[in-house]
Amino acid sequence: MLTEYSGIPIIIVWAIVFPALILGASKLFHPKNPTPVKLQTYECGLETQGDTWVQFKISYFMYALVFVAFDVETVFLYPWAIKFQSLGLFAIVEMFVFIAILLVGFWYAWKEGALEWM
Amino acid sequence: MDLSLLTIEIATVLLAIGVLVIGLLIPREQRFGLGYLVTIGLAIILFVSFGYYGINATAFEGMYYVDDFSIFFKQLILVAAVLVTLAATLYVKKMGTNYGEFFVMTVFAALGMMVLSSAGEFITLYLGLETMTISFYILTGFKKNDSKSAEAGIKYLILGAMSSGILLYGLSLVYGMTGTTVISEVAVKLAEMGSLSPAMVVGMVFLVAGFGFKISAVPFQMWSPDVYEGAPTPVTAFLAVGSKAAAFAALIRVFMIAFPDYSLQWKMLFAALAALTIIIGNLVAIPQTNIKRMLAYSSIAQAGYIMTGVIAANAAGVRGVAFYGMLYVFATIGAFTVVMNFSANTGSDEIRDYAGLARRSPLLAAVLTVCLLSMAGIPPLAGFAGKFYLFSSIVDQGYLWLVIIGLLMSMASVYYYLSVAKVMYMADPVDDSPIVVPAGAKAVLLITMIVTVFLGVYPQPLSVLANLAANSLFF
Repeated sequence: MLTEYSGIPIIIVWAIVFPALILGASKLFHPKNPTPVKLQTYECGLETQGDTWVQFKISYFMYALVFVAFDVETVFLYPWAIKFQSLGLFAIVEMFVFIAILLVGFWYAWKEGALEWM
Repeated sequence: MDLSLLTIEIATVLLAIGVLVIGLLIPREQRFGLGYLVTIGLAIILFVSFGYYGINATAFEGMYYVDDFSIFFKQLILVAAVLVTLAATLYVKKMGTNYGEFFVMTVFAALGMMVLSSAGEFITLYLGLETMTISFYILTGFKKNDSKSAEAGIKYLILGAMSSGILLYGLSLVYGMTGTTVISEVAVKLAEMGSLSPAMVVGMVFLVAGFGFKISAVPFQMWSPDVYEGAPTPVTAFLAVGSKAAAFAALIRVFMIAFPDYSLQWKMLFAALAALTIIIGNLVAIPQTNIKRMLAYSSIAQAGYIMTGVIAANAAGVRGVAFYGMLYVFATIGAFTVVMNFSANTGSDEIRDYAGLARRSPLLAAVLTVCLLSMAGIPPLAGFAGKFYLFSSIVDQGYLWLVIIGLLMSMASVYYYLSVAKVMYMADPVDDSPIVVPAGAKAVLLITMIVTVFLGVYPQPLSVLANLAANSLFF
């Protein structure tokens, strides 16, 4: 039982050790002569402008909320899908009721402009 | 599984979703009929629910009670919701936000309370509790442009989440020690175990704290004055009666059915809390200048009186809780309807602005006086009968000291209730303009006043129902 899963910790350990080895080796051997041009965010291409610490629009939370509705639906759909053959007609009707209620919620969010970018 | 047992809940869900959909289909300016639609729908459900007395069955294999006790509390919640939605129309219109949403959220809150009062199992109980409180978080912060309302919403959210966490922790400890979430099985498992383990004691204390927050018992009352003051007044009214009554129903079921063998231990806890709640609630209410804060502290004190019925832990005590709870609905909603309409007209909640209200609107002044005096327990009014039932249930159980505290503090409460009446009747109005009260609110005012007076003179009908409710819990 335990040996079946022993591959997982081995991979985790290797995933940590291997990049450390590679990065450490290249750090030891690569040449170092930085110039201001080399240290820019994009060495070739657009000039960077201003600070990276800017405010983002809080409207993102609306999408998160609408997402949660579907997330919960999926969580509930999985156990239902596995068991629905033994649960019979009642479970199918039940699930349609559940999805209908969720869809009303989604429709409401849509109509009230939750999906519009301001 | 007989789904017809859940007719009341299913009808409530359909009402809420139906109103939400109708609100989406019609344009914004035409949504003002939705409030009345909700009131009528809830009134029909209330009427239907009378047919559910005497069924005393459980649904979902003991997870959901449909007994007289839960039906009584559902009716209490429905009465509160009907009165609040009927009284709130003008106030909500003046708030200017989405009109239909307010009523939909009110119905959802009522649904959560119903589930809470019927829950026979911890997870169902928690589900009902969260349905109720999340709806209230939204309703409390409903005035989006008012910083006080937003502050109240955030405060309620944070403190409510904390108290839910404490309650949930208590429930999980009880589950951990007994291995079951069904309330009636907890008692069986506890009897098998024989003695209380420390973890069980901690679990019970956490349950007391979690429920204590919901019923705003001292020392868990700190949220209620701020939330009551900041929330839109109809929400405050519903919060003060509905959420408190539903939490009491759940509390009674959990403690009396799951922990009957250890009643000595939790009775002591509740007695201490009740004494503190009655004393602090009443004394702090005295210096308040804002009427909503004053009513908030008075409702804290009322929760203390109701807790005495829980301490009795017998049919007489539960009857007292049920009876007083229903009276409290009428008195509180009557008082808040006055506050609601006064502030919708004048924009003020300060007690000194109530000067001369008797001349500006005799109806408002009369209703507020009757409701406040009923809360104080002045004899011809219903509050006296309620307090009589509550206090007489514990007086022979060795809690005479608590009864004396209750009586003394009731007398103290007359002072601050009457000082509002004095301002309304004795002082001269600054502004003589009459106050406009819409028909729906007028109906609520008349109903609350008549019921409060009628039940004080003739408490028989309500006391029969309250008896049914209490007896179904102790068969």
